[in-house]
Amino acid sequence: MVAYESPGLVNDIELITRVVAGDAAAERELYETYVDRIYRLTFRLAGDDELARDYTQATFIRAFEKIGSFRGESSLSTWLHSIGMSVTLNGLRKTKRQRSREAPIEEGSTAAFARAEAEPDLKERLARAIDSLADKYRTVFVMHDVEGYTHEEISGTLNIPVGTSKSHLFQARSKLRVMLADFAPEWVS
Amino acid sequence: MTEDKFESFLKKTAQSYNTPPARVPRDEMWAAIQAKRAAGPRVVYGGGATYVVGQRRFGTKVWLGAAAAAMLLVATGVGIGRWTASPGAQSGVSPLPMNGVVAEGQAPTGVPDANPAGASGSTSGSVARQPAAVSRHPGAVAAANPDASRPSVGGVDRNPASAGSTGSPTNRSLRADQLVAVQHLSEAEALLTSFRTRSNTDQQMDAALGKWARQLLSNTRLLLDSPIADDPQRRPLLEDLELVLVQIVQLSPGSTPQDRDLIEKTLQQDHVMTRLRTAIPAGAQRGS
Repeated sequence: MVAYESPGLVNDIELITRVVAGDAAAERELYETYVDRIYRLTFRLAGDDELARDYTQATFIRAFEKIGSFRGESSLSTWLHSIGMSVTLNGLRKTKRQRSREAPIEEGSTAAFARAEAEPDLKERLARAIDSLADKYRTVFVMHDVEGYTHEEISGTLNIPVGTSKSHLFQARSKLRVMLADFAPEWVS
Repeated sequence: MTEDKFESFLKKTAQSYNTPPARVPRDEMWAAIQAKRAAGPRVVYGGGATYVVGQRRFGTKVWLGAAAAAMLLVATGVGIGRWTASPGAQSGVSPLPMNGVVAEGQAPTGVPDANPAGASGSTSGSVARQPAAVSRHPGAVAAANPDASRPSVGGVDRNPASAGSTGSPTNRSLRADQLVAVQHLSEAEALLTSFRTRSNTDQQMDAALGKWARQLLSNTRLLLDSPIADDPQRRPLLEDLELVLVQIVQLSPGSTPQDRDLIEKTLQQDHVMTRLRTAIPAGAQRGS
């Protein structure tokens, strides 16, 4: 898991000041500091390298455009992740709409059923189960259980209360448990 | 206990979910970011971004909205133009006013006496047909007739020849309608005059008049269905004319004098001839 750490408020302010002043090296430094975390998270949610790159690039482009309005109410890391999640989730919604329009409904449902029957492998089944979760549950689950973000960090990034983050995680796990019930012997043992 | 085992199992197994590549393509993404920023809006730190001159400033929706607004504006303008150009919307302007319709031998009401010297002694046919000096300009009327302080009939120049010389296309269209109406009414007057003066025993003449009347009847009905009949005075005249023409068309070669008298009575009771002559401006070539 990747720890979710900020270089510190003092460093944040210094870096932002330099970026705002037009220091190109500071821009690159900010990018290098956060790009791995942003890219990993967008890749986890998108499941596609090209989409993950697009979303990461869009995140930094938007961040450089708006960094002058950053007030320091949250850490720079939280602020960047917030932009990254907004870009990613909006992009995925668009992609999902496009794909649902392109694939006929009957064909899609038949394919999903056939895949479930033909892929008994646990990892594949888990991946399908996570994909089937609602976005709000899936995002919290991926951030917490896969990428290791705390509920406080998730709360700041997604702009939701900590309790809501916990509730979404509980809901996600419950649904996954039901969907993976036939694999119960594997976690009981 | 089972719950904890499931969470542990889930976290462990979920690590394989959409596993990102070990190497993050930092340099490629940085190059793409720089390229997009160079091609896109110029960054201005301070919360906003200025746009490079010549780049798209507004979205497609804004342009579509502007185009729709422009079309609406044009359509509204055309609509207002057409409405104001329609005969019904022009207050006080009639292509061929007939306010001066009176019984034969009487001075037409609302028509200034354009011939103060000898109008009282004129024949019945010429009483109403003195519009040559009637003009849109009160000054011109006053010059022709010092006593005529009242405006001209309907405020309209009744001389189609002068009316067609100037004006917008819409006005020219109205004047063309006026000319058609005048020509038709002149022809009708000629027919009715011929009918009244013909010999009662001339069956050949009756047949020719019947053919002529049939042609005029068709034209009358066409005019009744056209904007020319929108004039409140002209429509009753055309309707009465239609009735008379139907009677003439229905006259058989062997019709009795009583049948002809019936038509004559209709002409007299409805003052058709007088109204026709009033409607035809002086100088118009009747029957041509």
